Amino acid sequence: MKTPHADDTVTTYEPDNSLKRGYPALCAEIFRELANNRWLIFQLLKREFSVKYKQSFSGVVWAVVMPLSTLATFMLLHSSGIFNVGRVNVPYPVYAVFSMALWQLFATGLICSANALVDAGSMIIKINFSKKSLVIASFGQSLLSFAIYLVLSTLLFAWYRFVPSASLLLIPLVIVPLLLLTLGLGFILALLNGVTRDVGNVLSLATTFLMFLTPVLYAKPATGILATITRYNPLYYLIAVPKDLMFLGSTTEWQGFCASALLSLMVFSVCLLVFHLTETRVAERI
Amino acid sequence: MHADVAIKVEKASKKYCMSLKRSMTYGILDITRNALGLSSRPQVLREDEFWAVDEVSFEVRRGETLGIIGHNGSGKTTLLKMLNGIFWPDRGKISVRGKVGALIGVGAGFHPLLTGRENIYLNAAILGMSRTEVDRNFDAIVAFADIGDFLDVPVKYYSSGMFVRLGFAVASHCEPDVLLIDEILAVGDASFRARCYDIIYSKLQSTATIFVSHDMSQVNRICDSVMLLDRGKARHFASTSAGIAAYFDTLCEEGAMLHGNGQASLADLRVLGPQGPDSLAMGRPLEIVFRLRVALGISDISVILSTLALDRLPVAFASFTTSLSEGGAERVIRFRSPRLTLAPGKYSLSIAVFDETRCTQILWHYNVCPFKVHGEAEHVVPVVLLGDWQAENPS
Repeated sequence: MKTPHADDTVTTYEPDNSLKRGYPALCAEIFRELANNRWLIFQLLKREFSVKYKQSFSGVVWAVVMPLSTLATFMLLHSSGIFNVGRVNVPYPVYAVFSMALWQLFATGLICSANALVDAGSMIIKINFSKKSLVIASFGQSLLSFAIYLVLSTLLFAWYRFVPSASLLLIPLVIVPLLLLTLGLGFILALLNGVTRDVGNVLSLATTFLMFLTPVLYAKPATGILATITRYNPLYYLIAVPKDLMFLGSTTEWQGFCASALLSLMVFSVCLLVFHLTETRVAERI
Repeated sequence: MHADVAIKVEKASKKYCMSLKRSMTYGILDITRNALGLSSRPQVLREDEFWAVDEVSFEVRRGETLGIIGHNGSGKTTLLKMLNGIFWPDRGKISVRGKVGALIGVGAGFHPLLTGRENIYLNAAILGMSRTEVDRNFDAIVAFADIGDFLDVPVKYYSSGMFVRLGFAVASHCEPDVLLIDEILAVGDASFRARCYDIIYSKLQSTATIFVSHDMSQVNRICDSVMLLDRGKARHFASTSAGIAAYFDTLCEEGAMLHGNGQASLADLRVLGPQGPDSLAMGRPLEIVFRLRVALGISDISVILSTLALDRLPVAFASFTTSLSEGGAERVIRFRSPRLTLAPGKYSLSIAVFDETRCTQILWHYNVCPFKVHGEAEHVVPVVLLGDWQAENPS
């Protein structure tokens, strides 16, 4: 048994008390919480993944079937000429699968993290644990499906004998802003979804719409309203740069990328802070 | 905060909203205000809001146990959630020293598709245990849960008893400085409940404990003092028995049920002490008297009289068989006892009358004639042994 007075930290709960502590203290708190909960995040992530396909005969096969069916749809649309993809310099399946891998990092990540708190509602009102860990673990699902897409991409590269350039090695670095943006938005959406379920309903609609608005499965349009939108769409730059590095070996979008990355970092920091300030509000409304 | 004080609650209050739609609006408003660094003005009640916990203050030191009692909806669980940090008070301040462990809704973090083994690790992580802590306690957890071959079976196939056992086993193996217990032992068989109490007792000395229960005999066994919550407001009692007596006073004893097939009627039922109905006391004489009329043709009857505790469970009974020479007449039936063996508290009566010849129940008055036994309750068990003690030298 534990010796008395082993832990003497006093935790104080007061209305709005986070505000009184100041930003440096808050940031330290957030950092400490995440550091202390690494094992919890890992356990939650493990749960998400092992539960996902457990009660199905085909199990993990579904994780591969889903992206394959998406790919088949786009190939069909592409080959029948319904869907004009513009100029891409690699076989379309190669292009589509890798682009989808990047896009679903954003879309799946956003939807999963937005549902993180709602799905764990019964737990949140009974146990006091790190809700950030919960959102991060749910977001982690998108990393896992990213990995599956990558395996699929590699197979397609081999099939079409496509050899990416060495700048491929930069890709893990350049997808970081996309992850930050997604996770940041995911924090806020998880919070709002906990209070009002409208958020979750709107979200699946919005991500589909965004996918067609953003040049993911087609090349950047040169003219028209879509070109104007694309110019101010940070998602375009965050996805175009890793894509260019993979297929062209270089990119002309560094300027937009840097601005978007900066924006992502800001969104992430602000959202994480807001989540930290208001996360206890969810338990009382969920 | 004094070094010994582990829980200090100063005028803590919490408000709830009764309307779902308004609750969403208020939620968004509060989040926005907090996010912008503004106060959400928590101390103001908006439309449809009420104080679920209203200016409650108390202190608990290490090694002390405070019982929180009250009706459903009196704010017990809300208070416990604030102590646990699940949400914050809207007014006042709560300080907790050290690690908080909660035996509340055990098994809440279990995933039905994961096996017992996987859930032990997951749940332990959610409850804030470290990996080494779980590894160290794993065998003890499994042994305590006593789930045998089911360790590697998904918990959705567990019986409810096994589920709760495993939940309790995990939750009780974290080593808290402050322990919160909320009405957890309603399920599980007698031997498991006994083992749970062994664990709880072993922790009481080293932790500050808050114990919430509707079972007054448990409260009496475990707590040093009690707090009675009534619609969010607290009353403190240094003596557990006085608090429990006050709790019983607030309970209403409605719900009499009168059954019968019309062949018997009962009137003027009274429970009397030596000096009338208000002088009922433990160890003093008791008299129960009523008038009974049965229909023509019924000659042999039996009367079964039970005293019911507040939870309507019979705690003592007496029976009586008699022959009526001419049916249809009215009788005055009287039961006398020289010494009342019921402990102080509130009771009611159940009276059943049977036609012995035809073996049928002809009348049953249930939960009638509430009465109160006076006296200081030392131990809240319903029946006391009355007798004399002696201390002798061995011969």
